[in-house]
Amino acid sequence: MLSPYGLDIIESCLTCKMRSDRIFCDLPTASLQSFEAIKYATAYPKGAVLFVEGQAPRGIFVLCKGRVKLSVCATDGKTLILKIAEPGEVLGLSATVSGKPYELTAETIDPCQVNFVKREDFLRFLKDNSDACFKVAEQLSEKYNNACHEVRSLGLSHSASEKLAKLLLEWSSKNGEAAKQEPRLKLALTHEEIAQMIGTSRETVTRLFADLKKRQIVQAKGSTLIIRNKVALKTMATNN
Amino acid sequence: MESAIQQNCLECALRPDRIFCDLPTTVLAALDQVKSKIACPRNTVLFREGQPARGVFVLCEGRAKLTVCSESGQRLTLHVAVPGEVLGLSAALSGTNHEVTAELLDDAHVAMVKRKELLNFLREHREACLHVVDLLSQDLHIAYDKVRSVGLGRTRRPRAVSA
Repeated sequence: MLSPYGLDIIESCLTCKMRSDRIFCDLPTASLQSFEAIKYATAYPKGAVLFVEGQAPRGIFVLCKGRVKLSVCATDGKTLILKIAEPGEVLGLSATVSGKPYELTAETIDPCQVNFVKREDFLRFLKDNSDACFKVAEQLSEKYNNACHEVRSLGLSHSASEKLAKLLLEWSSKNGEAAKQEPRLKLALTHEEIAQMIGTSRETVTRLFADLKKRQIVQAKGSTLIIRNKVALKTMATNN
Repeated sequence: MESAIQQNCLECALRPDRIFCDLPTTVLAALDQVKSKIACPRNTVLFREGQPARGVFVLCEGRAKLTVCSESGQRLTLHVAVPGEVLGLSAALSGTNHEVTAELLDDAHVAMVKRKELLNFLREHREACLHVVDLLSQDLHIAYDKVRSVGLGRTRRPRAVSA
């Protein structure tokens, strides 16, 4: 079924071809059938806010298609992007389980399909399905590991150039590019958003990219960035 | 060291106050079978960042400092864990290396459960798995608060919308 946002909506988790690759979704048939009964498949356009930091938890959002920006915001408007969530991730999990307010704001950056489950339904589902409970523990573990990584990167990196180099190396290690001499990565974020990921200003990111290009460490081809000198970028990332 | 902590979890007077330990008797009896109780002196390092996860440590008595470290050796304290917390959970469950270093701040008693035994225990006992999900959610809230404070220089703002 085609939705207004051009998404090919997956109506049933039981027939979803992607579920075997996704931590939460790869559940036994009986658990999946219970999940089917409590989920609401919804399509969102780019720029939709799923939940806001500080809001009481309504439930979880399983991201089926598209990407979602997860951020925290200061009262002065300064924003820090923690992560770009990919399909398969469950958003709003810790708040829904603990009953505490959402810790982050989740905003779609592509048209997305999301399966929403109400908090009380989800808690009951976890109590009744031990496989799902285990998968949730695994997802929370992964999120905790990511948060520790973020603390390390933000709290212990000395400069914006070090943080940017680390971010580019992290992105380049995905999609089988890690082993390549000159890995390529798709820059899906604006300089403003990259600045929000490393806790600096847009101007600094633009200046750092100009410097990396001038030193031929990276080369831009449209929205693709080619890392020409991985060794130099690694040196920058380790603050040497 | 006089203590309300017992070798046997079933006889521990403190367990009703602790998320992980407040389990039904049959589940606690199963936990007793897989755990090893250890007394550790202050400054003992239970696990180091980057090390593969061998298991989890239930902190029965004493406190532990959880830190992250940069390549240059600079340290940042993420959290000071108190009795009742389970250390090393996320790495043990995800099968990855520890993201933090855990060092005891006091003379302590810990109950260690090996990774393989923990995974079997959680698969067999749904109640324990639910408690672990609760604990991980709390750990995650603490970690996000730390991200916010180091990244934006503040702790969490008040609720935007009341329940």
